[in-house]
Amino acid sequence: MRKKAGVPFYIFLSIFIFVTMFPFLWVFLTSIKPPIEIFSGFNWFTSNPTMDNYQSAVETRPLFRYIGNSLVVATLTTVLAISVASLAAYALTRLPIKFKGTILGIVLAAAMFPQVAIISPIFNLVQGLGLRNSYMGLVIPYITISLPLAIWILATFFQKIPFELEESAKLDGASPFQTFRKIIFPLAAPGVFTTAILVFIAAWNEYLFALVINPDDSWRTVPVGLSFYQSQFTIPWGDITAATVLVTIPIVIIVLIFQRRIVAGLTSGSVKE
Amino acid sequence: MGEKKSRFQLSEKQLGYLFVLPALVLITVITLWPVAQSFYNSLFDYRLNDPTRNQTTLNYQIDLERYADHYFFYGRDMEAAVEASVGTEFEQAITDIQASIQNYHEELTTGELQEQYEIVDEMVFNFEAVNDTDLKYAQLEDDVAEGYVSIFDEAQVVFSAFQESTEDEDVSEAISVASSTVDRLDRAIVRPNFIGLTNYGKYLTDARMWSAMGNTVFFTVVSVFFELVIGLAVALVLHRAFIGRGAVRAAVLIPWAIPTAVSAMMWSYLYDGQTGIVAHYFAQLGIISDPSVMLSTGSGAMASIILADVWKTMPYMALLLLAGLQTISDSLYEAAEVDGAGKIQQFFYITLPMLKSAILVALLFRTLDAFRVFDLIFVLTGGGPANRTESISVYAYKVLFGQQNFGEGSVLSVIVFVSVAIISIIFIKLIGSELFEGRTARK
Repeated sequence: MRKKAGVPFYIFLSIFIFVTMFPFLWVFLTSIKPPIEIFSGFNWFTSNPTMDNYQSAVETRPLFRYIGNSLVVATLTTVLAISVASLAAYALTRLPIKFKGTILGIVLAAAMFPQVAIISPIFNLVQGLGLRNSYMGLVIPYITISLPLAIWILATFFQKIPFELEESAKLDGASPFQTFRKIIFPLAAPGVFTTAILVFIAAWNEYLFALVINPDDSWRTVPVGLSFYQSQFTIPWGDITAATVLVTIPIVIIVLIFQRRIVAGLTSGSVKE
Repeated sequence: MGEKKSRFQLSEKQLGYLFVLPALVLITVITLWPVAQSFYNSLFDYRLNDPTRNQTTLNYQIDLERYADHYFFYGRDMEAAVEASVGTEFEQAITDIQASIQNYHEELTTGELQEQYEIVDEMVFNFEAVNDTDLKYAQLEDDVAEGYVSIFDEAQVVFSAFQESTEDEDVSEAISVASSTVDRLDRAIVRPNFIGLTNYGKYLTDARMWSAMGNTVFFTVVSVFFELVIGLAVALVLHRAFIGRGAVRAAVLIPWAIPTAVSAMMWSYLYDGQTGIVAHYFAQLGIISDPSVMLSTGSGAMASIILADVWKTMPYMALLLLAGLQTISDSLYEAAEVDGAGKIQQFFYITLPMLKSAILVALLFRTLDAFRVFDLIFVLTGGGPANRTESISVYAYKVLFGQQNFGEGSVLSVIVFVSVAIISIIFIKLIGSELFEGRTARK
């Protein structure tokens, strides 16, 4: 099957990449057009590129605040989920406990729960704790999305570490916790890192909880903030495209740097988002 | 030292349970418990925007904060009503009502609730908010509450009869003020709102629910089908050595990594009837009759959503299938070649069977994801036009947070949950235990 690729293959590949990237390309091209051109025609390139849309995008709405909110929430979620999940995944793959299948089943089931099925009790819980319009108010429900995902992916990575290493550490007198900290964790670091990226992206992308729990403009996250750019009378496509470009850049950088790891994580956990 | 060590030394097994515990507690508290709570809420007439129904309760309760606040004005307003009624046929009825309310009030505030009521009353008097629910709400005996509520009802009947009979504006004014304070007192009493399966009856016969369900199933089947077919084709093409793999991988991953809400905004620009380039080219190519049909007609909007979803998640499908393809040994194909099998035969007799479990796992997760679709539709079309693209999750959101109706909204949440559970069970039956393989075994 693994033949060298010919010319038709590269033509197909170029078309495929063009189609995939077209929305981004067009949004970028629009973002540097003067507003009058956006509404007057379908020229691909403008002859008067301008940064006005960018200026207006960050002035009409607190876009950088949204990005900051998303960064804080996604980072906190990642740290919490990874610390709890790595312990659980270690125990599930390495330690002689019972009911492993049941526990993994519960974890998997939790990953499948539709968010809309838990949103109203979570809303009451967060409201009762006085955590609406706060970072913790989002981090708590985000555990529901990220914990099952993290446990499953980490379990796959831990499984790949040879058991002999652990046995010899034990023979040398290391306690299980020392083994975990000094042998398993460093060896699993690439896997942990991969999982962290996926958890981060999942938290960065979440919409429903963010919409319901943090409705105050200064607490909105990027996806929610961006979806509220519509104004009452016209749709400011210039602002929206500029804002889209700005919030897309961090994700593009993450993907470009970590593409190998992301693919490894996606395929090992077989879980989306 | 030795003693200290043995005190901290847990057996591997105990340590194992200790390690899983935090994860299990978290999952229970924020996933399993809320689902159970949604089931429970769905059995009540529970509305956040109605003070008499803003919690689920099996008994009569009283909101002491509200009650104390309004009782403060009640004395004055009722006095005015009594004065206004002097010499009319209603005088007797109104003084009777005043006396009854007085009685019930006394019974309420001198019994076991006395202490609690005094604290709340004091706080209300000082304009402090009562945030402690245990302090704010108190349970009422059924007969006391029912009696009190029936006095309120009776008062309203008398007041409105009085209001109709009088032409004196001052009297009318006094009566309407008293009537509204009594109404406010009435609203401080939270009724038991358990209604069993009534909500389910309502939504299982609700045309809008079934059309939302139909939209969801249609969206799920069509977009997952296209994602699988196109994803498989892309995976087969990419499954060979070529220059620029990294670039392709990045191009494929970016749509997946962008927040769905952000890509929905992008597509809403591309589909816009006036400025949208996709709508423009589609119209020029004759695929659609007019650029505006993409978002303003039901079928156009559904097609738009499906196209945006396929664009966004097909890459993910392709990656999973590509990983599956890479596990198939080349020697199988070589052997097939020797036996004279053509490319198509190889695909159907080697590739597809070997990929079966990868395909099923990918299908399971994609189907579940597609079935609970929310942000794409919510941002791109809002469920419109005329609810033609409303998914069941979007409908649930609208009832829960648009109408603030947690009881009825929970019914829709439960329907989504049950559907997702059924889909999972079907797939897991098909996949069998392969999902768990290699994850639990201690080699």
